[in-house]
Parts: sequence; structure tokens; C-alpha cells
Amino acid sequence: MKIKNAFSLKKSITTILFLVITLLISQFALAATHNIALTAETLPNGQIAYALAGNEAVIPGPTLFVRKGDTVNVSLTNNTSIKIGFRVPDLARSGSGRIQPGKTKNYKIKASKTGSFVYHGDSDGKELLGLFGAIIVDKAHGPVDSYVNADGSIIPVTSADIDKQFVLFMVGSTFWGTEISGDGMQQKPLWANPNPGAVENDIIRFHILSIGPGHTFHLHAHRWLKTGTSEVIDTKLLEEKTDTHSFTVKAGTGVGTGSWQYHCHLIAHMEAGMHGSFRVDPIGGDGASEVGASPYGRILLGPKDEPGLVTFEITDEPASWFRSARGDALVGLGLGIKTKSLEVIAPGSSVNFIMSDTNAVHTISSLLWPTGAHHMPFNQTDAYRGGGILRLDTPGLYVFTCKVHPYMFGAVIVDDPETTHAEGILGLALDLGDKASDFKIDLVTGIKGLPTNSDLAIRLLRTFFVATAPDNWQDYSSGSWNVKFPDLSVVISGAPFSKELTDGGVAAPLSILDISGELLPTPIPPTEHGVGEVWINTQFEKTASKYKPGTITVVDATDWTVKRKIGLPEIDMNNPHNMWPNRDQSIIYQTQWFDNKLTMIKRKNGQLIKNIRVGYAPSHVMTLPTNDDATIAINGENSIAVIPAGTTHVTKMMPTQGRGHTSANPHGHWVSADGSRIVTPNINTGDIGIYAADGDIHARTVTGQGAPGAHPIAIGMMPDSSKIYATNLLHHSLSVLNGNTGELIKTVNLIADYDPIDGSFSDNDGNGEIAVGVLPIQTPVSPDGKAVVIAATGGQIVIVDTATDSIVKMLPCDPGCHGANFGAKQGGGYYAYVTSKFSNRLIVVDTDPNGDGNLSDAAIVGTISLVSREDTVSDDAISHLPGFGGQGVLPIPNVYNGWVQNLPENWKAGLTAAQRNPIGD
Amino acid sequence: MLFQSNRAECDTKLIKNSNTSPTITQRSLIKLGAMTFALTLTLSTFSASFAAEHIIQLTAEETQDDGFGNKLLAYKMLSHKVNGTDITSRYSAEATIPGPTIELTEGDTVKISIQNAIPGNNTPIPGISRQVSIHVHGVHYDILSDGTLKVINKNFDEGAGAGLEETYVIYEYQWNVAAGTAGTWAYHDHNFETHNGAEHKGLFGAIIVNKIGAPNFDKDYVLYLGDDAFWGMEIDGASKTQSKHGTNPTLAATKNSNVRFHLIALGTDIHTFKLDGYKWVDPGTTNLINHIAIGPLEKHVFNVIAKNSAHYEDNDFSNKLLGMRGKFLVR
Repeated sequence: MKIKNAFSLKKSITTILFLVITLLISQFALAATHNIALTAETLPNGQIAYALAGNEAVIPGPTLFVRKGDTVNVSLTNNTSIKIGFRVPDLARSGSGRIQPGKTKNYKIKASKTGSFVYHGDSDGKELLGLFGAIIVDKAHGPVDSYVNADGSIIPVTSADIDKQFVLFMVGSTFWGTEISGDGMQQKPLWANPNPGAVENDIIRFHILSIGPGHTFHLHAHRWLKTGTSEVIDTKLLEEKTDTHSFTVKAGTGVGTGSWQYHCHLIAHMEAGMHGSFRVDPIGGDGASEVGASPYGRILLGPKDEPGLVTFEITDEPASWFRSARGDALVGLGLGIKTKSLEVIAPGSSVNFIMSDTNAVHTISSLLWPTGAHHMPFNQTDAYRGGGILRLDTPGLYVFTCKVHPYMFGAVIVDDPETTHAEGILGLALDLGDKASDFKIDLVTGIKGLPTNSDLAIRLLRTFFVATAPDNWQDYSSGSWNVKFPDLSVVISGAPFSKELTDGGVAAPLSILDISGELLPTPIPPTEHGVGEVWINTQFEKTASKYKPGTITVVDATDWTVKRKIGLPEIDMNNPHNMWPNRDQSIIYQTQWFDNKLTMIKRKNGQLIKNIRVGYAPSHVMTLPTNDDATIAINGENSIAVIPAGTTHVTKMMPTQGRGHTSANPHGHWVSADGSRIVTPNINTGDIGIYAADGDIHARTVTGQGAPGAHPIAIGMMPDSSKIYATNLLHHSLSVLNGNTGELIKTVNLIADYDPIDGSFSDNDGNGEIAVGVLPIQTPVSPDGKAVVIAATGGQIVIVDTATDSIVKMLPCDPGCHGANFGAKQGGGYYAYVTSKFSNRLIVVDTDPNGDGNLSDAAIVGTISLVSREDTVSDDAISHLPGFGGQGVLPIPNVYNGWVQNLPENWKAGLTAAQRNPIGD
Repeated sequence: MLFQSNRAECDTKLIKNSNTSPTITQRSLIKLGAMTFALTLTLSTFSASFAAEHIIQLTAEETQDDGFGNKLLAYKMLSHKVNGTDITSRYSAEATIPGPTIELTEGDTVKISIQNAIPGNNTPIPGISRQVSIHVHGVHYDILSDGTLKVINKNFDEGAGAGLEETYVIYEYQWNVAAGTAGTWAYHDHNFETHNGAEHKGLFGAIIVNKIGAPNFDKDYVLYLGDDAFWGMEIDGASKTQSKHGTNPTLAATKNSNVRFHLIALGTDIHTFKLDGYKWVDPGTTNLINHIAIGPLEKHVFNVIAKNSAHYEDNDFSNKLLGMRGKFLVR
């Protein structure tokens, strides 16, 4: 399609490359008053930015040059749709707070000290989308700075000596630049990751500023003075929140001309694309800067014919984990778009990510990309706080995820303006691959050249559109399921689901995938009751008194009612993911996976005991049966944190890898029944780690069988600790390991019975059952050691017999099937409780209803709605996504071998003799 | 990415692509980062009587694995001659993390070459660099000694091994340790696997540039602040012998001796360094401080009189709990 012509823009935006800021330069020695009229605008890509009234809005905002002692009066008109303001954290400001959309307010800033200062929009993180700029306060007289000459001498410079200035704002993992004339009079936006230019020996003043997480700024082959000291440096820390550093160099002095890289020197930010070049041309050259990617450029609806930029905010919000800055506008286009996580750009434009609405660390990692695309996969070694930016040249579909939170999805379609399939209601079709590669895609797991008309490719597409749009989730209160795909056509390798490729591709409407009015039966609980309670992390459920999502839903297993909802608004509990009880079942440990907290909750009444900092993205928690210490997998980092029993602080973090080695990023660990071993699935290093309870590394077993991206995610263990079961999310497989040595015994392919091209199912592994487990997650072993239950997010429950380590049964699950854990059934036996992210019911599985030890009769014996009832006790009002987001599940009492023996007598009383001692003596 | 194989004929004595000419001799695969633009050494002629010429050869290797198949990378000193005098024995004979600390004086010149002993480094892989390089901070060098890939510097893949476009067995850099470059600076790889290099996998070291006539210290300690540990070494002031390489080393000092700490951070974390019970002068100022925030590739150099044993540590939340600390043992 032709992006420029695809939609007509309502109003063309005048290009004003140079902003003239005559008002801002004081010509007099006396303190001056500057009256500045600013507006805040929404840019074509949804980012927000300041503009000098009447001019184009720019990122960074207009640079204000004043002298010490001056007063700056800002009149700000808010033309955006959100509440914004104007703050200069390091200068005194008087004037009112934030401004409603459409209103104007005035602020007065006193330039009481020299230096460079950040001003920003003071809007709960939204300012990171572009509402930031610089105020440069220089001395009223004399030199404004000094540079280090080639011979080491320190040369003072006055304003008149400066040939050019560059503002480089470090935000997320992106530089936002402005080129400014020496006198500050002319300013030209250089946009994202530009290449500033100069001529050798030019005197160049750099203003480096930052907002958000910290950085270090490094410019190759140049040296300068650390502000206020005689220390010569070439790298400077910019600390978290806001920070600045202005310095002056003589371009190329002592080192000559060249394309000198500048970059943030944090490894994760370097890997995320945070760099550009300072071009020093020979004398006689033009020293012109190269402009970076622009929010006005070649993107869907973009007004200008220049390299464009789309921006995704990384958020803790259900479904919109990668939220386009203009997600609401895209949903509002009337094209049936339900997701805010999809963007469309032209080749050569860029995609920008900013972790502006999250409390955790993340990666920005490629999941799939068009065959033939360069610099793929995009990835970072460690999870971090920041953002990312990359240019995409090859047409096709790019899907990004976070390795720590692997259901966070963002998609970009790079559409080739030269392919002209006239399909769909808009008369356009978007390329899902590159014509030169038959519209095929590559996956991070090593699959190359997958046709986009294959069943697997279409399944992945469907997964994206369901996961990123709550309207497409299964709401069992509504009685029917509808999945709406955008009213757009896509160009794929051939006819959908066909094994044949079609030369030049086939344009197909996405609407052929729509699901309309599929019956969702009313949940019917099991007839036989369970023991105690079942605690479920309804991780996406929203409540009225807090910003972050997530509740705990407590189901009474003795009557299957939803007895309690726990939102903990007092701590803004954020994405509660997994739980474990202490020995006497009085305390529930709760991880907040998109945060850095572990929460202790009173089981009896659901009240907060303590919110404890533990490290980024704590995923799972388990106690050691020996001493009741809590062990927490720090999924965003490189360790297992320990909170000793009876205390509320982390006393140590046990490294999951050797010093200096790649962080393992453990997710869903398990502890052996005798408490001697902690077993972690290491998502970042693709292995299973076996650690002594005191942290010694015993073994690390790679599970990917030579292919990349296995992504081991959860562990189950035999009650006698003889075997370890580990699911590999992206390899759709189950690894079976020796529980003592960690030796790999077997790898069970969970999609052997599936043909990824035509989507047919047959008993390819010859076990007498047609069974698949797409994207397997939790994999507990029953307390009696007979069955493994695997919750597969593709919507299946797979039962594995531990006697043979082969699949014996597949049961249907809901989209986003995720959590599983065993609890006691009244009168003997066990129930496996299974949760799903994109539905709002709990599935109850009995792996052996007749108790004969043969698992072939494993069945779903009931389902339970996770939506509040009238008599449900709640600490906050449910406001959105009722009962959704099922992830961690914890039956109380804890009946796993090793723990069940430690239960207080009152809990033991409700169990049978076999349940109290599940594997005998 | 394609590998360039059709460079101008006049260039072939210096540049060859190993996959196109497998029989070519090693000699012809050596690339000198010649200073085509006069890095006017005359600028430092005022100190010519002190200026030394350093000829240094480094190599990069894989370390032994951690017992579970995971390896780091490390630099090793092959040879260091100062005005013809061989001082190689002051360095470890093994590859170390951090790499060798190279002590220089303002006015010196350095020719430093890199070789690559990482298995498979000569076999080009499209889109993946197998090169290692030396990118140095602080001192003067021209664009051919930037130690980066061509995608950055627009000239050559400036390292040893198969780069994205070019393969060299040896790459030589020239540094002008000009006046005004005194300080402690990092050097690190910029070319392995991607244009970001493998500095976070162990390929880093330090140069110490002293001012002419600067006092000697009884001990110099180089401490790199990584994402989960300090990587350090100790240099004896008299013998200049380098020892105690590795993580969180115990640093030893004689009571009342004058010792110097060279901190450089590296990785993704931003640290707060503390040396319990000690205060020191914040470089470039007269302020006494007892802790310092330091971010990746910043440097912070200070000296103290060793009075009492203490711990040095990082105050970052996770690193502290991971045990990122070591002993400063004063006897």
C-alpha cells in the first residue's frame, strides 16, 4: 500500500525547521524577564511535545537560553488530551499545577543559578513521551564554559566563540536531538538518534540531559571537563529522574576528522540501540547534521516524506503491554482495530520503545521477523529499565516481546509501498513478509522461512490479536465469545492454511479469522468438594482505588464460592503473579511480577502484613520445607532472594550463575521435598539450574537441544525429588531431568501431533492419543507423584504419566492457559486447579477420578467463575476485566510432600491418611 | 551481510579477506591503523626527553568454563616493550579479568596490536562479527584506531578476526598519550558479535596515564564495578607486578602506606561505591567524600593513607545482597 496516500490528513502541518527565539536572548546585563508562550501538542505518532506558540511541536521542546537572575514567565496551553504541566525540578517555580486539556496556565521560573535544567510535563510518566526540554542558564558576563585543547590546555569560551550547540536528551534508550546556532537564535529538531555534524576545530557545546532511568553519556575520542571541577572526562553519569551535563569540545581536536560514535555506555541501552555519530568533517566540509527518525515521518497517517518513527509505551496494563502512543487513536479509526499494540510504518522508518508506565525491568526482544531482515533478532542480554529504538528496512511483520514477561506483545508491520494488492475495505493490504522472500517469516526459536499462510503463522497472529485485546478474551459471564480482527487485508505467502505458495503473495482479509458468538457455557463446579481454599492470582482484574492491575481471588473449596477478592489498594498491588504459604498457613507470600515487591498477606482476612522490596520482577515464591525460609525467583535479575522465616527483609540473594556470566533470569522454580535443592528454569540462559539451599550451583542443564530460544519457564518435581519436569515455553516441549544430578533424561515434544503448515493433528508420536501443548507453562507433579499436569497457554491441558514420562491425555483449556497446582480433594485424591489469563474461570481437573492409578480417565470435573458474587468480601470495588488474568494458583492447605507433614493439626485433620503422607514412609 | 572481497589492488598488501584467499600468508593480513592524519606528535615535544615509546601486543582468549559450559573472554599481555625494554614480566602470564593494566605517562606514544585466540574467529559468519578490538578511552587516536566496526567508523572493521566486512589476523592501534590525558581510562572490546562488543563478557582493562613527574604510590588497585561483582587487581608500587586478578579481591596494604584506587564501572548497573571508614578527595575538587555514584565507563581515582582494614562495597540494592564487596586488608 502507499502509506502517504492511504489516509488523507485532515490538516497539513507547516514545516518550520528553524524556530526563532528572539524573545529568549537577553541583550542587556540587567536581569531580564522572558515571556514565553508554549503549547503542548499531540504529534502524528501519538507522542506529545511542546511548541513555541504557532510553531511545530518538537522533541526535545524548545531550548530556552537565559542568564542567571532572569525570570521566565511561561504561558502554557494544553492542546493534548491528557492533564499536563510544566516543572523545572531544580529551579524554583511559582504558578499553578497541572492543566486540563484545552486550558491555559501560567508559570514563573526564577533562573537563580547557572547550569542546564530539565523542564518537563509533570504528567505521571507521560512526559517521557516528549514533554521535556532544556533551560540553559548562563552567567550574565564572561565565559560560559571551557574546552580541553589538543595540547591539554584549558581554553575558556564565551557565547560568541561557540559555532554550534547540540541538545541531546537521553530518554529510555533513545537520544532526542536539537541543533542550535551558537547564539541560541536558531533551533532545528534532529529527532531520534541523529548524527550531529561539525567541521574540524569548530567549538561545539553539547547539552546532555536526561529524564527517567539513568544513563552514562560517552563520546568517542573527545575529552572535556566535568562541570565545576578540573577533572577531564569522556563519560558522564546522568542520574535517575532528571539530570544534565553541558560541556564544550573543539571538534576533532588532537584526533582529527571522523564519524565518532556517541552512545549511552550502559550495555543494555547500547544493545537497545542508544547511539548515533558525531560527524567531524574536514575543514571545507559542510559539517551538516543528519536528522534522525521523526514523529511526523513515513508512518501510517504520517504527514511528511521523511524517515518516520512510531513509539510504544511499555506498560503494566493488561493487554496493552506494548501500547502505541496513538493506540487509542488507532482503535478509534473505525477499522475494527481492538489492539493498541500494532503499528504500521514504511521501510526505513523506526520503532521506538519507552518503559514509561511500568515498575519492572524488561527486554525488547524479537519473537519473529520477516525472512531476510537485517540485524534480527533485536535483543538485549539483560532486562533493564529504559527503552529501545531500531530502524526497520525489510517489509513484513515484526513481533516484539519481553523475555521476562513473554506474553507482552507489540507488532509492527513494515509495509512496502511498491506492493499494491488492492484488497480490503481500504483498498490496501499490509505485507506480512518481504516479497523477495515469498512473504515468509523467521522465528527466534530457529525456525526459518515459515510461510505466512501456514497454520502456525496464522496461529501466532491469532495469539497476538487475542492477547493484546481484552474484547477478544473469553468472558464466561457473557455466555459467548467473539474475536474481532481488524478490517484490513494482509499479504501472505499463499492461500491461507495451504501448503502451496503463490508467486507475489495472496492478499487475504484478516476478518476470515473472526469468531462470532461461540458459546461459552456457564461454569459448573465439581460435584465433589475440595479441601480448604484455592487462592488464584487474577492478575489482570482491575479495581477502583488503585492504578495497577491485579487481585487475588479466593475460592472456598468446600462450597466453590468466590469468598474473597484482595486488591490491596493501599500498596497499589501490581500484577500479583504467584503465591506460597508459610508452614502454618497463616501467611501468604505474594509476588508482584511487574514490580520489585513481595507482599506478605494474612491468609485469614486478606489483610496486608508487609510489602517488601526484593529485586525486579519477582515471579515465583516457595518456602524451604526444612526451615520455612521463603525463596523468591528474581525473574528480572540474576538471583534467588531469601527471606528467613519470621522476618520481613531479604537477607541475601543467591546468584543463579557464576560472577560475570549472563544473568539466568529464573522464573518458576521448585524446591525439592527434602529442602536440599532449589531448581530454577533459567529463561535467559536456556537451562535448568540446580542449586543447594545455601546457593551453591550444582548443575546447569541446557534444554534447547541445540536450538535457540527454548525459554524454560516452570518446574515440577517428583515428591521423592527423583525427577524434575521443566516446560520450555517457546520449544513447546517438556524436559525430564534426573532430580539429583540434573542430567537430561528425556525431552517430550508437546507438538509432535501437530502439522505446523496445514494445522492438521494426528498421532505422530504413536502414543495412542492425539495431544498437543502449545506454549506450555506450569507443570506441577501431583503430590502422590503419579501425574504431571501441564497448562499450555495455547489452550490445552496436557497430562503426563510419570511412570512412562509420556503424554496420556489432552484436555481443553481456555486462551492463555497458564497456572496449575494440586490441592486435596475431600475424602482422598487430588484436584489440579488450572487458570487462564484470557478467560475468567478456573478449571478443575481430576487426573485419576476412579483412583485406580491409571490416568486415562483424567477429566475436567468442573469449572468455577472467578467473578465476584454479591457475598464476596472485597477490599476494593472491581472496576474492569472481572476475574481475568488467571496465573498463579495456590490451594490451601499446601499438600505437597515435604510440606504437608509440617501442617498444623487443624489443617491435617481435614486430610486423609494418604494425603497426610503422600508417598508413604 | 556480504563480505567485501574486491578492494583496490594497491591495498592488498595490507588488507585481505581470508575467505577469498585461504593460502594468503599471515603477514598480509596484518592491518595497521596508520595515522594518516598527523596526530601531531610535535604537540608533546616539550616533554620529549620524558616521552617513551610503547610497543604492546595483546591477545583475547576464552576463559576456562565455569564448570557448566559457560565461558567469559579475557585479554592477555603477550609483550610490552618501553623504548625497547621488555617489561612483559610485570603482567600475568594468563589471560585475566580485568585485562592487563597499562601504565603510561603524558607524552608517551603507544603502538598496541590485538590478536584473537577465540576459537573460530577467522571464519566469517554473515551478520555476526568474530572480531575483537581495543577501543580506548581518554587518550588521543585517529579514526583508524577507534577500535570499532566499519559500520560505526566508516573506514575498516578495526580489530582482529573476521569482522562484518573484513578479516585481519592482527590489528594495530596507535595512541598519542597527549598532554591533558592524565587519568585512568578504560579500554575494552567494541567489535565482538555486534558493534557493541564484548566488554560485558570480560574484555576490558585499564590504562593509567600519569602526569610527568607524578608521585608513585605504594599500591595501585584497579577495581571494575560489574553488574554482580568487582573485578579487580593489585599493582605493587615498587615492582609494578600485577596480581590478585578476579572477583571481589582482597586488597592488601601496609599500615600508613599511600595507596591509590582506580574505579571504573562497566555493564548496565549504576553503583554507589563505599570504602567504610575512609574519606577521599573527589577528583578535580577539594571536597572530601565517603561514597561516589559511578555509572558504566566512568572512572573515579582517589588515594588514601591505609589506616584500618575495611570493606569496599557497592550499595546498589541487589548487588549488595549478592555480596558485591571485598576486603581492604591493612597490616
